[in-house]
Amino acid sequence: MRLLKLFVPVFLSIILIVLDTRFSYLDNFKKFTLTLLSPIYVIVDLPSQVIDWVNDKGADNEMLISENGYLKAQLIELKVRLQTYNNLALENQKISKLLDSSYKIPNHNVKLARVKSISQSRLSKKIIIGKGSNDGVTLSELIISSDGAVGQVIQVTPMFSTVRLLTDPTQHMPVKNSRNGIKGITKGVASSENSMIIEFIPLDSDVKIGDFFLTSGIGNSYPSGYLVGRVTSIDDSIDASFLSISLQPTQNMNNLEFVLVIKGKND
Amino acid sequence: MTRINHTFLLIKISIIAFMIGAISLPSFLELASPFWLLTFFTYWLIYSNGKNVFTSAFILGILLDVFQGAILGQNALALVLSSAFILNVKKSFFVSNITTQQVYVFFSTLIYLITFLLIHLMFNGLDIKWLILLSPFISALLWPLIRFTLAKIK
Repeated sequence: MRLLKLFVPVFLSIILIVLDTRFSYLDNFKKFTLTLLSPIYVIVDLPSQVIDWVNDKGADNEMLISENGYLKAQLIELKVRLQTYNNLALENQKISKLLDSSYKIPNHNVKLARVKSISQSRLSKKIIIGKGSNDGVTLSELIISSDGAVGQVIQVTPMFSTVRLLTDPTQHMPVKNSRNGIKGITKGVASSENSMIIEFIPLDSDVKIGDFFLTSGIGNSYPSGYLVGRVTSIDDSIDASFLSISLQPTQNMNNLEFVLVIKGKND
Repeated sequence: MTRINHTFLLIKISIIAFMIGAISLPSFLELASPFWLLTFFTYWLIYSNGKNVFTSAFILGILLDVFQGAILGQNALALVLSSAFILNVKKSFFVSNITTQQVYVFFSTLIYLITFLLIHLMFNGLDIKWLILLSPFISALLWPLIRFTLAKIK
C-alpha cells in the first residue's frame, strides 16, 4: 500500500516534468500559483524596504545636497551626450531617406524597476523585479541596465516579474557583432558566474577578441542595438563546425539594483 | 497534537522554508546551502504524526518548482523520494542521537541532490557548479540548529 502511495506522486512528477519541458499547457497553472505565492517576496523584501526608508529618513541634509549636486552634473553631462546622439540620429534619418532605406532608429519605451532578489534557484540564474502585470510588464520583454542587456522576463505576477539572466544556460539571445554585423546566438554557462558563449558562427568568420556584441533583434523577439557582451576568447579548432566564442557580459549581473524593462519589440 | 495542528505546523514551516529560500545570498553560499524545504519537511515528518506524507511532499515540491521557476515536478520528485527514505528510517531517526540523525539527513539530502541533478542533466547537460555537492554536508552540519529552531517554533 505504501509503495502505491509512493508510486502515484512519483508517476505524477515524471508526467509533469515531461509536460513542462515539452509543452506549455501548464503555463496558466504556474502563473496562477506564482501569484498566490508572491506575498512571500513582499515579506522577504520588507526588511530591505524598512532599511531604505530608515536611510532615507536618516540621511543628513549636507549629504543630500552634495548628492543632488553630483546628480545635476551627471544630468548635464548626459544631456550634452544626448545632443550628439540626436544629431547622429538626424543624420542617420537623412541618409536613410536619401538611400530610400526603410530602416528607422527604434524608439522604445522603458520602465524602471527595482531588483528585489537575485537568483533564487541554485542551478539557474534569475532575478525578481518589483514590476509586474499591474505595471504593464509582459512575458518575453527585454531587461537592460546601465551597461547592457540583463535578461528576459519569463514569469509575470501582478506585482513582480521573474527575469532569466543572459548568463543562465537556458537563456538564448540572438546577437550581432557591432563591428561587422556577424550574427550568432548567446547562451549562458552554468559553471561560470559572468560568462556566456556564442554559438553558430562559422569557422572562417571575422571575430576578434575585444569585439562587442549587441542584441540583433532577429526573430522579432527582442529589440536590437543593446550591448550584450565583449569577446574574451575565441577557439577555432578545425574539428568543430563553428567558432567557440566566450563573451563577458558588459553588465555585471551581481550588483544590479535598478533595471529597465524595454517595452515593445522590433518593427 | 491534532491533525489540524499537524497541518498547521507543516504550513508554518513550509512558509518559513520558502522565505529563507527567497533570500538573496552570495552565489557560493546559495549553492552550498541546504535544501531548506527538504530539511524542514524532514523535521515535520519525524516530529509530528502527519498523514498523507507523499501527497504533502508532492504538493510542496510543485509549489517550490513554481516559486523557483524550475522544471515543474523537479523538486516534487526529489522531495517525494527523500521523504520515502526518511519515512523508512523514521522510528530509528526519532530515537537516534544527534550524530546519527545528521547521517540520516545527509543521505536524504543526497537522494534529493542526485534526483535534482539527474533531471538537470537530462535537460541542460552536466554544466553545474561543483559547490552544490557540499549541500548534503552543510544540511547535516546545520541539522542540530534547524531542529532546535523548529522545536521552538513548534
